[in-house]
Order: sequence, then C-alpha cells, then structure tokens
Amino acid sequence: MKPMIVILKEGTDSSQGKSQVLSNISACQAVAEAIRTTLGPRGMDKLIVDKRGKATISNDGATILKLLEVVHPAARTLVDIAKSQDAEVGDGTTSVVLLAAEILKSTRTFIEDGMHPTIVIRAVRKATALVTEKIREISINIKKDDAKEQKLLLEKCAQTTLNSKLIARQREFFAKMVVDAVLMLDDLLPLNMIGIKKVTGGSLEESRLVAGVAFKKTFSYAGFEMQQKKYSNPKIALLNIELELKAERDNAELRLDNVAEYQKIVDAEWTILYDKLEKLHRAGVNVVLSKLPIGDVATQYFADREMFCAGRVQDDDLKRTQKACGGAIVTTVENLDEKSHQIFGTCDLFEEIQIGSERYNFFTGCPRAKTATMILRGGAEQFIDEVERSLHDAIMIVRRAVKNDAIVAGGGAIEMALSRTLREYSRTVAGKEQMIIAAYAKAFEIIPRQLCENAGFDATNILNKLRQKHAENNIWFGVDITREDVSDNYASAVWEPAIVKINAITAASEAACLILSIDETVKVPKSSSEISNAAKAMNMD
Amino acid sequence: MPSVGTLAFDEFGRPVLILKGQESKKRLFGIEAHKSHILAGKAVANTLKTSLGPRGMDKCMVSPDGDITITNDGATILSMMHVENEIGKLLVQLSKSQDDEIGDGTTGVVVLAGALLEQAEALLDKGIHPIRIADGYELAAKMALEHLDKIAESYPLDLKNLDPLINTAMTTLGSKIINRCQRQMAEIAVNAIMSVADMKRRDVNFELIRVQGKVGGRLEDTLLVKGVVVDKTFSHPQMPKEVRDAKIAILTCPFEPPKPKTKHKLDITTVEDYKKLREYEKEKFSEMIKSIKDAGTNLVICQWGFDDEANHLLLSHQLPAVRWVGGPEIEMIAIATGGRIVPRFQELSADKLGFAGHVYELDFGTTGDHMLCIEQCKKSNTCTIFVRGGNKMVVEEAKRALHDALCVVRNLVRDNRIVYGGGACEIACAVEVAKQANKIATIEQYAIRAFADALESVPLALAENSGFSPIKTVSDVKSQQIAQNNPRLGIDCLNTGTNDMKTQSVIETLIGKRQQISLATQLVRMILKIDDIRLPGETDE
Repeated sequence: MKPMIVILKEGTDSSQGKSQVLSNISACQAVAEAIRTTLGPRGMDKLIVDKRGKATISNDGATILKLLEVVHPAARTLVDIAKSQDAEVGDGTTSVVLLAAEILKSTRTFIEDGMHPTIVIRAVRKATALVTEKIREISINIKKDDAKEQKLLLEKCAQTTLNSKLIARQREFFAKMVVDAVLMLDDLLPLNMIGIKKVTGGSLEESRLVAGVAFKKTFSYAGFEMQQKKYSNPKIALLNIELELKAERDNAELRLDNVAEYQKIVDAEWTILYDKLEKLHRAGVNVVLSKLPIGDVATQYFADREMFCAGRVQDDDLKRTQKACGGAIVTTVENLDEKSHQIFGTCDLFEEIQIGSERYNFFTGCPRAKTATMILRGGAEQFIDEVERSLHDAIMIVRRAVKNDAIVAGGGAIEMALSRTLREYSRTVAGKEQMIIAAYAKAFEIIPRQLCENAGFDATNILNKLRQKHAENNIWFGVDITREDVSDNYASAVWEPAIVKINAITAASEAACLILSIDETVKVPKSSSEISNAAKAMNMD
Repeated sequence: MPSVGTLAFDEFGRPVLILKGQESKKRLFGIEAHKSHILAGKAVANTLKTSLGPRGMDKCMVSPDGDITITNDGATILSMMHVENEIGKLLVQLSKSQDDEIGDGTTGVVVLAGALLEQAEALLDKGIHPIRIADGYELAAKMALEHLDKIAESYPLDLKNLDPLINTAMTTLGSKIINRCQRQMAEIAVNAIMSVADMKRRDVNFELIRVQGKVGGRLEDTLLVKGVVVDKTFSHPQMPKEVRDAKIAILTCPFEPPKPKTKHKLDITTVEDYKKLREYEKEKFSEMIKSIKDAGTNLVICQWGFDDEANHLLLSHQLPAVRWVGGPEIEMIAIATGGRIVPRFQELSADKLGFAGHVYELDFGTTGDHMLCIEQCKKSNTCTIFVRGGNKMVVEEAKRALHDALCVVRNLVRDNRIVYGGGACEIACAVEVAKQANKIATIEQYAIRAFADALESVPLALAENSGFSPIKTVSDVKSQQIAQNNPRLGIDCLNTGTNDMKTQSVIETLIGKRQQISLATQLVRMILKIDDIRLPGETDE
C-alpha cells in the first residue's frame, strides 16, 4: 500500500479540472439569476434586509449584488465587474453581469465537449475587440456646438437610464433636472459638486434643483431665532474654530493664591472668545459657518449684531460652500480684517427656507465655482434612497455623455446589431473559433431577450422580428416596450452613450475569460478562531 | 422552491455555497412576494380604517414601559405600533411624511394606499404586469389631481372675518376626541396662527407657537395666551406674584461669582485670605444686583439657578426673579419681549431689556401648581396654547388634535384653495377617473378603473364608521353627484340632514388632498415594483 502524502491542510477543498470550470460557470449563472428581473423599464425591484434589519429597495444591479454578500470565489468576480461598471460609468450594472453570465453559458458547451479553455478565451478576446470597433464605427456623434441640441441629447440619455427606475413616470422631470445640474458644473464635471439632499415628505414633483449650495439647518442654541435669516451679497466666513466659552486647554490646571486674580482669569477667558467674535464682526462678515460648534454666547453675540451663524456644519457641505462661494476655510481669525477679501466668500443671496418639516440654508448665485444641489422629496425613506441611486446613475450617464458625445440606440438595438456583425464575421473564420464567436454573438441577444421576458412578452417572437429587421440593415431596431413590438429606437430616442456599452462589453468579456481560465480552486478551511475569520472577511472586502 | 436561483450544484451534485449564510436566508419571489406585500399593506390599512372621520374610533396603545396613549391620529398610531414588516414600515413612513408636510390626513393617506394595494391584488390575479398597474395608477392619479384642481375653490382669507378659517379647523377637529369644544379649539387654533402668520410671505413659523398642556381642569379651560407661558414660578415665595410693565433682563449666566472654565484651584492658607474671598463674593453679588438695577430692570429671567444668598439679595432689592428657564423658552421670551439675551452682567444695559405689559403667576385649583404667563409683550407675535384636561391622555390627544388644526390653518394661509371633505372630492375624482378610463386604449385602462374604485374607499370607510350601509350611501351620493353635477356632495356622517358639504362647511385643503393622492400612488408603485425579498434568517451566532 502506498503511503499517503499530505500536502495541504486537512479539510482543504481543492476541486480541479474541467469540472471546476463548469461548476464556476453554474455559480455565476446563479448570481445573474438574482438580478435578471431588474433589467429594463419593466424590471422589478428587490427588497433586501440586512442582518441589522435595515431594508434596501433597489433596482441597481451593483447595489443589489453588494447587499447579497456573495461568497463564492468565482461568482465574486461578477460582483466586482458590477462594482467597476458602477464606478466607471455608473449605469449598466445589471446588463454587464447578465452579459458575462450569458457569455459563460454559451461557451459552456464547448468546455463540456473538451475544448481547451484557452482557445475559447482567445476567441472571446478577438470578438470583443471586433465588437468595440464596431460600436465606435456605428455610433452617432451629436454636434456639440449647438447647446440646445446637446441639451436635448443629454436629456434623452438621462431619460433612457431613468426609464428602468422607480421614477420612470417622472423621468422627463428628473432628466431635465439632472441635465441642468450637470451643465451647471464647470468643464471638469466634478461629481462632488452636485449635492443631493433628502427630505422625507412631499411628493416627488416637489423635488427641486438649486443653483448653489443648500444644507440642513444645524443644531442651534438660544438666540438663533433672533438672527436675520436672509442676506443679499453676504460676506461669508468659513471657519474651523470652536466659538464657545470653554477651557482653552483641556488638561491644564490653574493654581491661584490670590482672590483678585480670580476675576482676571474669568475676564481673560471671555476676552479670548470676544476677541474672536469682534474680529469677525469688524471684518464685516454677515454669515459665519463653522465646522466646530458655535456656542450660545457666540450665537447671541451674532444675533445682536445682525449676523447669521451655523455651527457643526458637515464637512462636505462646508467644502462645497467654499468651492461655490470662494474664500477659504480658516483655522484662526487672528489676521482677519476688512481687507482680507480672499478669505471671505460671497454669493448673491443667502436664505433660510422651510422645506417640509426641516429648515434649509440656501446659498444661491455663487460666483466662483459652479455647484448644484438637488433637494429630493418623497413619501418614505427607502423611496428617496432609491431615487437618489437612480439620479446618481443618471448624473453619471450625463457626465459621460457630455465628455463623450457618441451615442447608440438602447432597448437591445445595439446588442442585436453587434450580434449580427459577429455572426457574419464568424462565417469567415476557419477553425474552432468560428463556433465560439458564433456562440458569443448569440450571447448578446440576452439583453433584448431579458427585456422582453421582464415585460411579459413572447421573447422568441420579438427576437425573430428583430433579427429579420437587422438582417435588412435596420441597425437601430430594438424592443418597443410600450407597444409589445419592435421599433427604431434611435428615432424614438432611446439613447445610451456608446462608452457605457463599450465598457460593459469589455468588462463582461474579461470577467468571462477570467472565470474560464481558472482550473483549480484551493480553499483553505475556516480555522476555528474568530480572529482569522474576521481577517479573511476583511481581505474579501 | 422559493430559493431557486441561489443554489448551484457542482459535478457531483453537491450544492455550492454562493451567498453568505445562504441556507438560513429567506427569500420570497415573484407573485408570492407581491401577495405578501399586499397582505401586509392591507393589514396596516385596516387597523386605521376605523379611525377615519367624525365617527371614527380611537385606539389605545400601551408602550413597552406601560405608557398609555389614546389617539385617532394615523401617524401617531402607526409610529407607536412598532410595525415589523418591511412593507408595513413603508406605510408608517407614508403617514409620517404626510404628517410632516401637511399635518393632517394621515389616516386617509394610509387607507387610500391600502385600497390601491387591494385593487392591485385583483389585477395581478388577472395576470396584469405589476408595473403596468403602477403606470395605470400614476396616469389615474394625474387625472385625479387635475380634476381636483378643477373643482377646488378659492377660499376667502380675510383677517377681519375668521369664520371660514374656523370652519376648516372645525372639520379637522371633528374627528378628534375634543370635538366637545370643537368651536372653541378651532378659534384658538385660528387665532394662534393669525397672530404669528406672515401674510406677505404667506408663511407661518411654527416655532412661534407653543402648545403646552397641564393635567387638571376641563377641556373648556384651554386658553390661548398671546405671549409666553413657562412652567416656572418666581424664585422666592415672598416675591410679588404679578408684575406690570415689566422690564425684563434675560440672563444666560448663573447668579454667582463668575468662575473660569479652565480647571482651577484656589489656595487659601490664612484666615485673611478666607475673609478676602468672602468679601470678594459679597462684592460680586452686589455688583450684579447693581448692574441689574442700573439698567432699570424689574424682572429677572435666568437660564441658570442661583443660591439662597442671591435669592435673598434679589428679594431685598425688590427684584422678582425666575430661575432655571430652559433654552427654547428663553429664546421665546426674548423674541416676544424684544429683549436681548445677555450672557454676562457687564453687558447688561437698558436697551437690552425686554418689555412685557403683564407678567403673572397662574394658579391651578388646589394643586399648588403655578405657571408664569408673560403677556402683552412688545412684539406679541408669539403665542402659547395652554391645554387643560381631565387626564394625561386627554391632554396629549388634545395637543395632537390642535397640532392638526394648526397645520390645516397654516396650509390655508399658504394656499387658500380648498376642496370639500366628507368624501365629496374623492367621489368626484373617482367619477372623473372612471369616465376617463374608457378613453385609454391599453391595459392600463384596468388599473385606472381600479384606481377609481380605490378612491371610493375613503367615503366607504366614512359611511361604515358612521353606521350607514356603506355601499348604498356611497352609490346614492355618487348618483346624486353625477345627476346634479355637483362635486360638493359627500357623506353626511353626522346625520345633519344635508349632504352638501358646502352647507355643512366640511372643508379640506387642496394641498392636503393632492399630497394624499400623489404620496399614496408613489408608494404603491414602489411596493408593486418589488418582486424579490431577501430576509436574513435567524443566525446561529
């Protein structure tokens, strides 16, 4: 009898070979299954409750996958591409996962038949390159010089994205809002210059876009209500100072041996605070914002001198205000005087306004940088959260489209066109790759197919119609959700930026290749101690 | 199998784990998920149904620590029920957001949402896609809102003749426990709003109205104090109980020798030193009294306390004083009396004093309880509603009812368009929506018709709660409305003999109704869009 040689730790699971590839493919299929129904305008939402009992209702592929806590190593790849699609273009997270899973599914038979994975991978890579080339070729560029035309285009793109979301019915309203917000920004289109604030209550249509900065009224002390709440052209001081009567040093101790000094120390403490306040007052500041608390004494001091103050302003709000109104966040008031203009910000109008049951500080007409704030209203917290996610997607798409003005038609049209191109190409290839490329071509049909299935249409019927249209060179024909038919989606303005598709296809193909190239997983068993578990969890994240 | 899609098998038929804790997770999918949502939504709505209208009943809620709340305010009931179900929670938030925004109609909005869900169930059974139902609902809601605008009437808003406003407030109070003194409460609410309303900006700052309650007395003893009521008494029993033409010093510093905030230690080594300290303190006290006297004060209000020595000194200098007045109250007093909050004695001067014509202690029966009323203030735009009642539950419920009434009056100040209550406008909208439904060519027609039926749930519930045969009453009113083309006909809940709501003056605000319909529709869309719920199972950890 041969002695057994133990190389790996006991309990290590090491499956390998062809069966491993196949089992990985099944796992990916299962993940795609979980978000399959969220695709398209008739896609459904998922309600996911986490361990702490927090409920999330979402239609966004990346969000759902993140919350599902996938542990299977191969399946995690799909989660990662959804995340990367989210980070890169913001939308199309569901389709990227579906596409990857479908590519795997269609190549599965070849693996089962004993074809070597590397051949499959090579063919997939080749096809991907071909497809991206094709998208670039057929995508339509919209002239940028006509501002009105461009805006129309952007709104169409935003609407296509929002179509599958909860706010589909209000898509025109929100698309306009998103485009206005993005166009308010400067050329770099920094995302953090669009603030999104959520106020529960009110209906969706009461959401509004503010050209400037808005944030919730901060905690205030007695005396706040006596301050003036509206200024035009205010001088705004942005501070990182605590304006409160307090011990200057926390762990210092004073030792007095004379009663007369007692009063002096009290006075000294007051003077420190009053000096700061007076400096601000004398510099002609109207609005004081600070990251740190502004105490009751300061509040009342400002109220007496017709100045407005807000303490404990959130960091990003303060930064946005600074970018918008100019000025600098200062940590000392020592050198402030009327001449230090560059330190103070300004805007056309500052006002405190009641929204729902909350009060908001508005800074509008900011001269320096361009910012926008969206104030979302809605019936429930989860509702607004989902609206925020949807708008985030739309904003990302619009930003992409501004920078990159090539568009393609959505609703499955571009996928069908690509599928046809690949099929035709495959016939010119000799060898094993022919079949793989043909299979890859078929995988693209998953998008229109799923759109139909989610809407309850007869997918086979619609796909046949689409194939026929595309064979006649009507490249923009896609699924028409409203009429249960096919239609020219370019004409009916279902548009998506080409870059979104290119990114989705590349990411999906790469993920598929990656999964196909794995032939062995070595899974070290969980050790009993909690610490190593935690460490592993961290590594996974 | 409910968990299809999350299980995958490897080549030996062993299941592969894809999600973390997959075995214990619960999942509901597809039509089952929809059914379970609808069931939950209906259950919540049914709890509230009996609270609707003037003949609605109250609910008694016992909190975990044994506190009892009796109310028929929808938002309050739901928030105290601690709903566990996720869909139930959405409904709770729905009524809360109606409460935040409008303040009234919190029961109606949930009843409407429940009815919409109930109708959706029947449509789902017919095999209509949930999103098409939601689309139909939104179309119908748009029609209903347009019709509401059409039948809305502009309401006279006249400062001299407050009767119309009082009537509206009475409609709101009609369903509450305090309808015994409906008229009186309505008058109080209207007067309170009118004294703080900013008619130019059409805005009402609620922070200027305080509602205070005290157990004892009768509901009829409830009164409106045009000024501030503080639950405090003069600091010394021998001080006068009444001050006329009070010049008030509002202090936020304690009545004691000032102390540095920095940690300190005073070394006393000799008797002389000790005597000096004593002298110093005495001197400080007399300094303080002097500065108060010099400013011309005859009433001191202090945020902090003062010890017996200071108390005695104040008494001997004929300075009535109040101590331990909370921050918000201090602010109210300052705003009302036009005084300034003074943070230290050195800053006290004549122009910082507030003025009130009449300050007096209010006694309550034999309990020995006292409260301080500050009336005839210089700027009398703050007021306090002082609620009395036989027990704590009644007082609390009366406060909530008054809050609702205040909100309604405020909404009228903001937007003076009204519709008629008693189910009149719901029936009118239902008739209109049903009429328009026939013009729609697509499947949405069914959903629109269902929406019309759901709208009738409010008058149905009203009739049922009033003890009428619901279907007969509602269909009677409906036929009358169509025959007379009169959208003002509603359910005659109180059996007054007429069902014209204009003669009965049962009035609701347009914005309140609009909000109810759009919030309920949007929430129902959200619920219908979910087709997959994942719940964490009971974890073994």
